[in-house]
Amino acid sequence: MKKSIMALMGNIAVISVIFLACSKGSKDAPDQGGNENFDKTAMLTYYADKMIIPGYTAFQQKINALQAATTAFANAPSPATQTEAITALKTAHLQYQYIEAFNNLTPATSATLEYSVNFCGGLTNTDLLLNGFSVDSVTIENNISTGVYNLSEYSNKSFYSQGFPALGYLITGPNAIAKFTTNTANRVIYINDVAKRIKALTDQVVSDWGIYRTTFISNTQSNVGSPIGNLVNQMAYEMDVLKGPRIGWPFGKQSNGQVFSTKVEGYFTDNSIALAVANLKNLKLVYTAGGSRKGFSDYLNTLGKQNLNSLITSQFDITLAKLEAIPDPLSNSLTAEATAVNTAYGEIQKLLTLIKTDMASATGVQISFMDNDGD
Amino acid sequence: MEINQRFKTEEVCNPGKPSLFKCCSIKWNQQISIAPLVSFRIIFGLLMCFSLIRFWWRGWIEAVYILPKFHFNYWGFEWVTPLGNPGMYILFAIIVISTILITLGLFYRIAAITFFLGFTYVELIDVTTYLNHYYFISLVAFIMIWLPANRFFSLDAYLRPSIKKAHVSLFTVGMLRFQLAIVYIFAGLAKLNYDWLILAEPMRTWLPAKSHLPVVGKYMYEEWVAYLFSWFGAIYDSLIVFFLLNRKTRSFAYVFVLIFHVATAIFFPGIGMFPYVMIASTLIFFSSDFHKKLLFRLTGDTLLISAPNSTNMHRFRFYKPLYIGMSIYIFLQIIIPLRFLFYPDHLFWSEEGYRFSWRVMLMEKAGNAIFRVKDADKIYEVNNAQFLTPLQEKMMSTQPDLILKYAHHLADEYKKRDIKKPEVYGEIYVTLNGTPSQLFIDSTVNLAQRQLSWKHYNWILPYTR
Repeated sequence: MKKSIMALMGNIAVISVIFLACSKGSKDAPDQGGNENFDKTAMLTYYADKMIIPGYTAFQQKINALQAATTAFANAPSPATQTEAITALKTAHLQYQYIEAFNNLTPATSATLEYSVNFCGGLTNTDLLLNGFSVDSVTIENNISTGVYNLSEYSNKSFYSQGFPALGYLITGPNAIAKFTTNTANRVIYINDVAKRIKALTDQVVSDWGIYRTTFISNTQSNVGSPIGNLVNQMAYEMDVLKGPRIGWPFGKQSNGQVFSTKVEGYFTDNSIALAVANLKNLKLVYTAGGSRKGFSDYLNTLGKQNLNSLITSQFDITLAKLEAIPDPLSNSLTAEATAVNTAYGEIQKLLTLIKTDMASATGVQISFMDNDGD
Repeated sequence: MEINQRFKTEEVCNPGKPSLFKCCSIKWNQQISIAPLVSFRIIFGLLMCFSLIRFWWRGWIEAVYILPKFHFNYWGFEWVTPLGNPGMYILFAIIVISTILITLGLFYRIAAITFFLGFTYVELIDVTTYLNHYYFISLVAFIMIWLPANRFFSLDAYLRPSIKKAHVSLFTVGMLRFQLAIVYIFAGLAKLNYDWLILAEPMRTWLPAKSHLPVVGKYMYEEWVAYLFSWFGAIYDSLIVFFLLNRKTRSFAYVFVLIFHVATAIFFPGIGMFPYVMIASTLIFFSSDFHKKLLFRLTGDTLLISAPNSTNMHRFRFYKPLYIGMSIYIFLQIIIPLRFLFYPDHLFWSEEGYRFSWRVMLMEKAGNAIFRVKDADKIYEVNNAQFLTPLQEKMMSTQPDLILKYAHHLADEYKKRDIKKPEVYGEIYVTLNGTPSQLFIDSTVNLAQRQLSWKHYNWILPYTR
């Protein structure tokens, strides 16, 4: 017994020495060209400092302005204050597209930003009435008339009666100004509550990033739940949302061409395509890191995937061009410009495939929102 | 000293029989200490207990067996369905209890049968949860049913001293070693392909994602490291069994077992329990003397060191059916991993004959599947997320038989939505080991009309590299 344990220990010692010797030898050897290492910490630092934190700070400013304009409108509803509020809403909503790609990172998930600010219904929703970027005007009006509601409730009903869609309805929905004549006090309180909640959550995300930044840039793993894993997964998810709730579903892809024009994003503000384009532009920015040589595109280059990189880059451009070719409002173009929408849809699908399969594969990231054992 | 003398008498071929064949046949039935079986029973029971509790604790029972609305069942096992809540939890509790009983050696036969049936039932619920080491566990559990592993150092033997034995036939341990040998050798053979050896794929793809590791992380972008991993893995898997079987190289080989599996656990934490299952299981290759000494220290029971005689030897009641059964089992274990040879096309692409063949961590494959349901002039594009979990969708997108099963399920679902004759078409793009994603199946084939089959699916498009 003792003898065999001794032999085992001896073997471990010998092999460890060989390993150490090998690794030491290779350390002294000069690096072969063409295999430079990619600095993932620099990549994450770039995302945090140049895109995420400035993105949220800018969003915070737009939300402050939105809250002020909303209050001004609610206190004195008139075409003039309404116009101001619409502009502020559009501006804030547009800036939101530059942070949506970071929705699955800890600060945004713990603030439930996706659900409470710009709910798209997710991909698994099977509700026939409330889906995509619907607005639950029935619940909103009910909330106003009873004055009893809880916006932090975790339910589809609650998500569909707050955030940008609800503000769109309250500010510029049918007879938005006239509706303030009845039940005025409750209506004012409700619209202010919706704006207040967006602001509170935004403030929370901004301050959380001050703490989370260190965790984010120091974790260079690629597994499920890691920053890199999350960024790639969210890119794929954003493409799925673009293909589904943003364009494809209202276009009737799931429903044999039956169009759902009221379920487009930003239905009341008539800027769906502008929003979608901003969203995709930001996704491309995440991919290229703005030409800083620190992004996923550069990572692919380092991995020797130059072909894939140029394929993805050009598919981004093609998709953007086809998307921009659809005139706003999308609710009208879904039928009036069906060919343009269909063309854009086809390109979105191609880009989705490239990101979900080729890019995820190449970066060693699993597209899965669940941790699992695999072999 | 005296003890050591006696240990030496075992595992030596009977010198009285000159013919090689006879020598081997006698050796096969030769009496060895029961100790390896006892060690294996205890380690296996504990490891299974731990791994089931881990599965439970991570919330996977709910995520994998309760929440999904649809399951990819195995062909011929459509009757295996999840038991819902609390059914699944009760089933898992029963399996966990059976692992504890196996460890203690209490009601061993019943516990082993319960574990085998329970565990296998769970694994048969959904193909997308298939893992080679789950298959391995099912097979080992099946073998364990027949082994006299509770005849020593067990509550069964304590309660019924008459069943207590110290010696068993060599083939009882041999079957476990055979099963492990099958795993390693076929895993090794599977690696002897162009992608693995010449292109160092998928290691070349996977390793740069491990650059965060301390010390070794900075080498992960180096090409030679990918080759080192690939070749070391291929050689290790193909040959380790032979070094483990040889007494002289055994302890040295076990160090490699430790290095290899600890390394895979560090580099690929996603493979879960697999490294630990293998590290524990390969202990069965250590000589019966090794296990006997271990057990003797633990129990001090002198029965262990008594010479084999009619009272302390375990004998099976029926040898003939046992030998026939073992032969069939061995034959199947060899033929099943080779069935891929009967299929045309690239194995990794079509995956016909891929499962149950010990192809572990062999390729990087990902897909994006778009399905359309047509009926007369109507077209509905399918939102997969409404029917499948992300894990199911991911697995389905790259495996033709699952694609077909899903297409049939879609046809059923759309029939419920008043679509009388749904035709189902799949536009599926797949990337394999870094090749650009390409169309996987013929997108003009109505999958609703195609049947599951053992034959080659001619609607799979050829792989081009």
